[in-house]
Amino acid sequence: MTLRGQCHCGAVRVAIEATAADLPLRACQCGFCRRHGAVSTSRPDARITFAADDGALSRYRFGQKLSDYLICKACGCYVGAATPIDGDWYAILNVRGVDLPGFDGRTPEPMIYDGETPETRTARRKARWSPAVLTALQLSA
Amino acid sequence: MSAAFAWRAGGCHCGGVRFEVALPARVEAQSCNCSMCAKTGFVHVIVPESRFRITKGADRLAEYTFNTRVAKHLFCSECGVKSFYRPRSNPDGWSVNGRCLDEVDGLEIVIEAFDGKNWEANAASLAHLSKEHA
Repeated sequence: MTLRGQCHCGAVRVAIEATAADLPLRACQCGFCRRHGAVSTSRPDARITFAADDGALSRYRFGQKLSDYLICKACGCYVGAATPIDGDWYAILNVRGVDLPGFDGRTPEPMIYDGETPETRTARRKARWSPAVLTALQLSA
Repeated sequence: MSAAFAWRAGGCHCGGVRFEVALPARVEAQSCNCSMCAKTGFVHVIVPESRFRITKGADRLAEYTFNTRVAKHLFCSECGVKSFYRPRSNPDGWSVNGRCLDEVDGLEIVIEAFDGKNWEANAASLAHLSKEHA
């Protein structure tokens, strides 16, 4: 099964190959996610695909600057994040930002990642984040 | 300005956009279920014009409009955070995002559901929030 979502204006579109019931729902408590009201999902066996109109995506990096936080330039929606690890892309989706279906009524698990080193952060992401296809975004790992 | 209000600061994630808003100790805020607010998780703290000021980064704001184009959805062009905007329900005032306040010590924010999916039927209930002498 494939779940699909998009930003408000539709310039950025996402998909994840899973059913909502099989996906976790996490509420990172960092300042970026709190301000965006973000709740995230990913699973190491559920592929995520991003597609965007030409020039539609903005990439924001902060903190350890390991990941690209993907924001629609037109409507400002934070759709998800992607990080290159050993030449491959790994990603999460912002369930709220793309209005991914099937999560109504779920309570997200609060997550705090403070104190991670770049190495432990990358290891956690490699274990939990989804493999990602970003070819349409013309990003290089 | 009544002594019942205190100026509080807030802003986006990257620090490029900053604002101040004068709030009482107890604030009624709205969580809206419309297509736009559902995507941003915006917590609406609606105030009159005189109780809000942009202190940094007005030139970093990007604007998005849709449908009637009355609401001016403003977000930081760097980090995407929507700290405040001109709401369609209160175009004479501002809606500040409760998620973007620096600190909420001494502030009680009571969040109530607003049925923005049925905006036309419900918007009038918010109009008083941006009146200068409400």
